[in-house]
Amino acid sequence: MTPAEPVAAVPTDAALIAAWEGGDEQAAAELVRRHARALARFLGGTGAPDMDVDDLVQETFIRAFRAVAKFRGQCRFRTWLMTIGGNVLRDAQRRWRRSRLVPLGDDVRAADGDPHEHAVAGEAEARLAAGLERLPPMQRDVFLLRAQQGLEYNEIAAALGTTPGAARVHYHHAVKRLKEHMK
Amino acid sequence: MNDDATVHDRELQEVAQRLGARAAERLDLERTAQAVVARLRAEPRRRAWAWAGLGPTWLRIAAALVIVAGAGAIARTWWHGPAPVAGVVVPLGEDLSGLTASELRDAIGALDRPLEDETGSGVDVGLEGLGPDDLRALLRSLEG
Repeated sequence: MTPAEPVAAVPTDAALIAAWEGGDEQAAAELVRRHARALARFLGGTGAPDMDVDDLVQETFIRAFRAVAKFRGQCRFRTWLMTIGGNVLRDAQRRWRRSRLVPLGDDVRAADGDPHEHAVAGEAEARLAAGLERLPPMQRDVFLLRAQQGLEYNEIAAALGTTPGAARVHYHHAVKRLKEHMK
Repeated sequence: MNDDATVHDRELQEVAQRLGARAAERLDLERTAQAVVARLRAEPRRRAWAWAGLGPTWLRIAAALVIVAGAGAIARTWWHGPAPVAGVVVPLGEDLSGLTASELRDAIGALDRPLEDETGSGVDVGLEGLGPDDLRALLRSLEG
C-alpha cells in the first residue's frame, strides 16, 4: 500500500490576514477571491444595484484591509466584511441621493433565459428587495445574515455588536414585516 | 438554521438567497482581486503625496482655517477661563445599566409598540424570554 499523498493545506483566513499584515499582497488577493461572491450576494440583497456591486465589493475590501488591525476574530472574517459592506453601501446611497443619480432599474439590466420565468422569479425578488429597503438597517442586516447567509445568531450578534437574543428579536421582527409586505 | 422556520419562512429564505445571485455570478473574481491589490498599492502613495504638501489648494486652505480657529478657541479659553456648561446631555444608553429587566421591557414596549403584538405570532420572539443584557442591546439598537 502506497502512502497517501499529503493534502496541501489551505491557509485559514487568519493566516492570510496575518500574511497581508506582513506585506503579502497575494494573501489579500486570495481573501478577495474567497469572499467576494458571498459579499456581492449580501450587497445585492441590501439593495445595491447590480451594475455597482463590483465597485462596492472593491471598496469594502479596501476599507477592510485598511482596518484589519481592528478585526479581533470576534466573528468570521466574512461576516465582518459584510458589516463593512453594509456601511459602504449606505455611504454610496447617501452620495447617490446627493448627486440625484438614479441607478438603472431591473427592466434595463441585461437578463438571460426565459423572460416569463425571469418575470415570475423577479417579481418575488423585487417585492422582497422593496420590503428590505423599508426595514431599519439593523433588522435588514440581521435578516440577510440569517436568511441569505445562513449564519447563527451568535455569529450575527458578534458582528453587529448586539446580543444573540436581541438579534433573534430583530430577525423575527424583520420576517413579520417582510411577510406583510409580500402578501 | 431552521429551528424557527415555517413553510412560509422557507419561501422567504429562498427568495432572499436568490437576491444578489446574478451580480455575484457576474463578478470576475480575478479581476476584482487584482483591482483591490492595485488600489491597496496606490493609496498609501497618494496619502503620502497629499501630506507632503502637494494636495489640492482648497485642502491646504481648509487645514489652515482649522488651525487658526483652534488656536483662537484656545486663546479665548486662556483669557476668560472655561465657558459655563449650559446643560449636560447624558445619552440614554448610559442609564440602561441601572434598569431592571421589567423596566427595560417597558422601555422597549414604549419605543417600538409592534414588538408587543409580535408575542402572539412566535413563541421565541417574546420579550419575556430575554435577559437584561439582551433587552439592553435591543433597546440600544432601537434608539439608534
